[in-house]
Amino acid sequence: MTQQHERGAFEFTGSWREYAPIAFTNLLLTIVTLGIYNFWARTRTRQYLWSRTRFIDDRLEWTGTGGELMLGYVMVVLVFFLPLAAIQFVMGGLVMRGTPAAAGAAFLLAMLFYLAVLGLGGVAIFRALRYRLSRTYWHGIRGGSDDQGFRYGLSYLWRTMLGGIAFGLLVPWALVTLWNKRWNAMSFGPHRFVATASSDGLMGRYLLYYLLPIALVVLGVIAGVAAAATARNPAELTQGYQVGLFFFGFYLIFFVLLGLVSLYFYAAYFRQVIAGLSLGNLEFEFTARTGDWLKLMLGTFALVVCTLGIGSVFIAYRNWAFFVRHLRAYGTLDLDQFTQSTTRAPGQGEGLFDSLDMGAF
Amino acid sequence: METRVWHYDGRSGERRMPIIALTADQRHFVLEGDGADPGPYAFTDLKPHGTSHHERAFGLKGRPGWRITFLEFPPSEIAVQLPKQGRYGRWIDRFGLWRSVGVLAVLAALVVAVTLKLPPLIARLIPQSMEQRMGRLMVGNMGAYACTTPEGEAALKALAARLRQGDGITIRVVNAQMVNAVAFPGGQVVLFDGLIQNAQSPDEVAGVLAHELGHVAHRDGMESLVRQYGLSLLLGGFDSNISGYGNALLNARYSRKTEAGADGYAIGHLQAANVSPRPTAALFARLAKQDEQSGNAGLLLNYLSSHPLSSAREQRFAASAVKGAAYTPSLTPSQWQALRKMCADGPPAPTGINF
Repeated sequence: MTQQHERGAFEFTGSWREYAPIAFTNLLLTIVTLGIYNFWARTRTRQYLWSRTRFIDDRLEWTGTGGELMLGYVMVVLVFFLPLAAIQFVMGGLVMRGTPAAAGAAFLLAMLFYLAVLGLGGVAIFRALRYRLSRTYWHGIRGGSDDQGFRYGLSYLWRTMLGGIAFGLLVPWALVTLWNKRWNAMSFGPHRFVATASSDGLMGRYLLYYLLPIALVVLGVIAGVAAAATARNPAELTQGYQVGLFFFGFYLIFFVLLGLVSLYFYAAYFRQVIAGLSLGNLEFEFTARTGDWLKLMLGTFALVVCTLGIGSVFIAYRNWAFFVRHLRAYGTLDLDQFTQSTTRAPGQGEGLFDSLDMGAF
Repeated sequence: METRVWHYDGRSGERRMPIIALTADQRHFVLEGDGADPGPYAFTDLKPHGTSHHERAFGLKGRPGWRITFLEFPPSEIAVQLPKQGRYGRWIDRFGLWRSVGVLAVLAALVVAVTLKLPPLIARLIPQSMEQRMGRLMVGNMGAYACTTPEGEAALKALAARLRQGDGITIRVVNAQMVNAVAFPGGQVVLFDGLIQNAQSPDEVAGVLAHELGHVAHRDGMESLVRQYGLSLLLGGFDSNISGYGNALLNARYSRKTEAGADGYAIGHLQAANVSPRPTAALFARLAKQDEQSGNAGLLLNYLSSHPLSSAREQRFAASAVKGAAYTPSLTPSQWQALRKMCADGPPAPTGINF
C-alpha cells in the first residue's frame, strides 16, 4: 500500500464538547483524590486526544496507563529527590562546620549537585519522549528507542553549559543539536527518525530576543533621565505617582515585548527542527507562524482568565489540537515494510524513569 | 450475517478485514480470511482499548499492537462476550463515578483534617532537649543585641515572677526598634525594645509578655514551625536553616484559635497576678490606630500583622477587667524606669535586622 499525501496527512477530529466530560470528571476526581488521580487524568486526556488524531487512514492510539505514570513519579522521588535532599543535608552540615576545607568541600558538592540536576533533567527529557513514542500506536505499530538516554544527558549537560557560557549566544545551536540528537535516537516501527535540522537562520531572531532587553533598559534609562530633566521640579517628580506609573509601564512593555520576541524565535525554531525531521520516506513540516502561536497563547490566556481558572482544564486539548493542525507529512509509507518496532518492549521491566514526563516533543 | 472487523496483528502495519466468527464453545472466536491468523482467540484474553463506550476496539493479552475494531455494533452473541470498555479507571468504574466521588471526598476530608491536626501532635513528640537546642540556636544572633543592666534584669525577673513564669524560660530584651515580641521554641522569649518604648505603662508590657508566655506554655512556636516546614524540619537537620526558622517565627501568622489560646492564658495570668488587663487592651487599640496613620506603618505593622488584631480581642481583654478590683501596677516606677533604660547604652541592632 503506497500513498502519496500532499496535505492533510494529519487531522484532528476532536471537539471540545466531546472532551468536556472527560476534562470535568478529571478535575472532579483529581480534587477528591487530592491530586493522585492526576496520573489517570492525564492518561484519559491523552487517550482522547490520540484517538481523535487521524494519520493518513487510521487514528493514533495511546496505550500508556495512569499506573505507569504514578509508578514513574514515585520512582523519581525515590531515586532522584531523596538522594538530592541527602546531598543538601550533607552540604548544610559542612557549611556549619565553618572550616575552609569544609566550605570548599561544600562548594564542590554544590557544583556536583547542580551538574547532576542538569544532567538528569536531560535524561528526563529524553525518556519522556521515548515513553511517549513507545506508548503511541498506529496501525498496531509503536515507536521507541533502545537508547537509555544517559549519553544524551551528558550531551545535554555540556551543550547547555556551553550555550550559556558564550554569553548565551550558542543557545540556538544547543537547542537544535539537542533536538537532533534525541530524535535521531528514536524510531517508529522499523524506521529510525532522522533529524538534520541546522541552526542557520535562527540567529537573527535569537539576537533580537537577546538584545531587546538590553535595548529596552537603555531606552528606559534615557527616557527616565529625559523625564527628570524636563520636569520643572525634580523633587516633585520623585514623590509623585508618575514614577510608579513609569516603572509599571516599563515593566509591562518589557515583558510583553520580550514574550512576543521569544514567540517569534520559538515559532521559527519549531518550524526549522520539524522540517529537518524524517521517518523512512516521510518528511514533516510544521506550519505555525508567530501569529498562530500568539493566537494560541492569547486564546488560552483569555480562556483561563474569563473562566476564573477553570478553563485551564482545556489547555492540554488546545495545545495538542494546535500541534496536530499545523503538522504536515509528505512522502510515502510502505505498509508491507512497516513492521513492529524492535525496540525494547514497553511495560514491565522497562526503566521506570520512562514515566518521568517533563516536556512534550 | 457475517461481521467484519478491522484487524492489525501487531507484527506489520497492514490492515486486514477478516470475518469474526464464534467457535462452537461460544467462548472463543476465529478471524477468517484476508490473510489474518485465524486463531482461535479467547474472549477473556481481549482487553478494551476504546476511549468511550461508542468505540469497540480491543487488544489481545500478551500481543502488543494486536487489535480488532468493530466498525458497527457487533451481533449480540458476540457483544455479550466482549469485555466492557474502561472509562475512569478500574476501581472507579466498578463502584460508579458518583459513588466513588462521594467516598473519595470523605476520605480526602479525613486526610486534610488529620494533616491539619498533625503539626501539634508532631510538635509534642519533639523531645524537650531538641526544642531547647533549637531555641538557643534561633536566638543565637539576637543574643548579641540583648540588653543587660542589673536593675533592668531585676525588673524583668520581678515581672516574670508575678506572671508565674514556668521553669526553663529565658526572657531577653533585644535592642531593636520593632514593636514586637516573639516566643521561640524551648522557652526563649524575646521582647524588642521598640515594644517597651512604645508602651505607656508596665502593665502593657506585662500583657504582651503574658501572651508570649502563653505561646511557650502551649508550645505554639514549635507547632508553627512544623506547620510551615513539615517533616523537613526533622529530617533536614535544623542547623542548616536556623535563620530561616527564626525569621519564620518572627513573622509567624498564628491561627485565630492559637492567638485566642495565648490571650486566654495571658488574661488568666494577669488576673492571678492582680494586674489590670485594661492597659493591654489600650495598647492594642493604640497600635491599631497608629497603624492607620501612614508613616508609622513600617514600625508598627510588624506586631499587628503577626498578631491579627480584631476589636473582639481588644474587647476580650477589656471585658476581663473586674470592676472595683484593687489592681496593682505590675512594676514599681523605679523598676519600670530600669526596664525602659535597659537598652539605653547597648549597641542598637541594625535596622531591617535578619536573624
